[in-house]
Amino acid sequence: MTTPAISPPPSLPSTTDRRVHVREPVVDTTERLTSGNREADYILGGGFPANSINIIMGHPGSGKTIFAEQLIFENAGDDRPILYFTTLSEPLAKVVRYLQGFQFFDEGKLGTQVIFEDVGSELAKSGPEALIPMLRQAITTLSPKVIVIDSFKAVHDLAPSVADRRRMVYEMTALLTAYGTTAFLLGEYTEEDILLYPEFAVADGIVEMSRRRLGNRDERYFRVYKLRGSRYLEGAHAFRITSAGLDIYPRLVSPRIPEGYEPASERVSTGVTGLDAMLDGGVWRGTTTLLAGPSGAGKTTIGLQFALEGARQGEPSLYMNFQENPSQLMRTIRNLGVDPVEAQAQGLDLVYASPVELQIDSIIVDMFRRIQQRHVRRLVIDALGDLASAATDPQRLHDYLYALVQHFAVSGITSILNFETAGNTIAGSGMQNPMSYLSDNVVLLTVDGEEQTRRAIRILKTRGSAHDRRVREVEISAAGLAVLE
Amino acid sequence: MNDADHGTFVTELAFGRGMRMPNDDGGRPVILIAERDRNVRELQLFFLNRAGFVVEFADDGQCAIDRVRLDAPALLITEILIPKIDGLTLCRLVRNDAARGHVPVIVFSLLAAAARANDAGAAAFLRKPLVESTFLAAINGVMMNANAVMDAP
Repeated sequence: MTTPAISPPPSLPSTTDRRVHVREPVVDTTERLTSGNREADYILGGGFPANSINIIMGHPGSGKTIFAEQLIFENAGDDRPILYFTTLSEPLAKVVRYLQGFQFFDEGKLGTQVIFEDVGSELAKSGPEALIPMLRQAITTLSPKVIVIDSFKAVHDLAPSVADRRRMVYEMTALLTAYGTTAFLLGEYTEEDILLYPEFAVADGIVEMSRRRLGNRDERYFRVYKLRGSRYLEGAHAFRITSAGLDIYPRLVSPRIPEGYEPASERVSTGVTGLDAMLDGGVWRGTTTLLAGPSGAGKTTIGLQFALEGARQGEPSLYMNFQENPSQLMRTIRNLGVDPVEAQAQGLDLVYASPVELQIDSIIVDMFRRIQQRHVRRLVIDALGDLASAATDPQRLHDYLYALVQHFAVSGITSILNFETAGNTIAGSGMQNPMSYLSDNVVLLTVDGEEQTRRAIRILKTRGSAHDRRVREVEISAAGLAVLE
Repeated sequence: MNDADHGTFVTELAFGRGMRMPNDDGGRPVILIAERDRNVRELQLFFLNRAGFVVEFADDGQCAIDRVRLDAPALLITEILIPKIDGLTLCRLVRNDAARGHVPVIVFSLLAAAARANDAGAAAFLRKPLVESTFLAAINGVMMNANAVMDAP
């Protein structure tokens, strides 16, 4: 990861382009403590409420400790110190050793602004109830503004009985509530533990880090279960662990439709000879066109013609491609009689992403960063099926696509989404229903013929256009794809 | 009326300090605190002792006003949510007391009630939880003010 946390994800309001953000910043009066992570703060509705008790839960290796460490170093300052208790899950030496590899680590803050204390042996000797006097002493001697207990579950598990556990949690909560400090209890809790462990009932905030194995890759998710007094962003947000800490991709949600928003009333040329006429003069700006058809029908060719036409007209165009590597794509462009380098200078942005390596969240965040940076007006996704394979959950994919189409409409980005079908029909391909419903226009390409390949095009649907309802023959030549007279 | 019979003055033992008679500490200022939360009391006692104050606690509003009338403390700190007489009423009672109207009151509460505390005549309002620095700053500010008023000709 080369530029973590520098470019905002799509959902963060940007000063240069306020069109592509998904919701208003939360306005509330609660004093908040930053998580030290801009995206996490956004998801949390501004950060953790100050003076709250929060649980950071997740399996070993899920990123809890890194999240907490980023939080403490970002909050460390000249005022009150931050106290980090390590208990029985990991010795202090180990925690500090791995901590040093992260960019947020600042040795100068250790010992004064950030105080690590290993209380594991004392707890093992005197039992979990020893935590309370240790906390009280820490409060009266250090006045910490943040207290992290890593792991709290390990302390809890030392208690001999349920009654002892409840008493210990009650005592600790009462003490932490009386004093002005924000507490983070880390633990290897599972979802079932939420109902069983008393600390969940008293927690003001619960954040979960989870990891899911998917073939050769792991997907990590950040989720807020509960955050009192906060308008947080629900759902699972993908993240990666980098040397800068957690790189979180807030889930894409539908944009607020700005006041006074009106659908664009301008036609955009597809760049395909004869197709604009079929579409009653081109597609409306800001609309999404689903371009479906089997392999070899001409989807990529039309997509490229559309993007190149945009570049020709001075509209920054983004071509997101998951199938052909960049040099293949350059060759295809050259075959269309266009110099790819010149087209790129005019505003064509060719992006190749391997869906094997990426998850849908990071693909979409990258896409929106480019849209914002380059003020993209046209966009092609080639192809939707690859995005689908990068998504693990059909509902999640559907939500994503819905939100995408809404964003494009609000931002006036005209898009073509290529979609490969198994045959000459769009039916039965699983995704056609939601996509046909979401798209403004649906265009189907077909391939027939035994001795000679015959390609055809048919417009199945448009919004607000008196389109040509006939099946029209098309031809692919050196000049690209053209609808025959 | 003596304290033992009254039975409502609290001896706070969390940090090993016993009950005190009014102003028995060589002139160190006595702060009376009406507060029910044990943890809040422990922290108040600790920080105020360390800052050189003598601290007494009252369990409820009735007990607190009785104590103020018995012998004026240098300062009264009260939670709003206390039994018998609530903290704001307590504040008004002190304000309107002919002999004890000069005792400054700080309302220190879970409730965000700065305006109501001000209306009740409190010298300051602080919202819980307790943070040592702001707590002591408010107390010192109020006590300095009170002394300035008393010293004025």
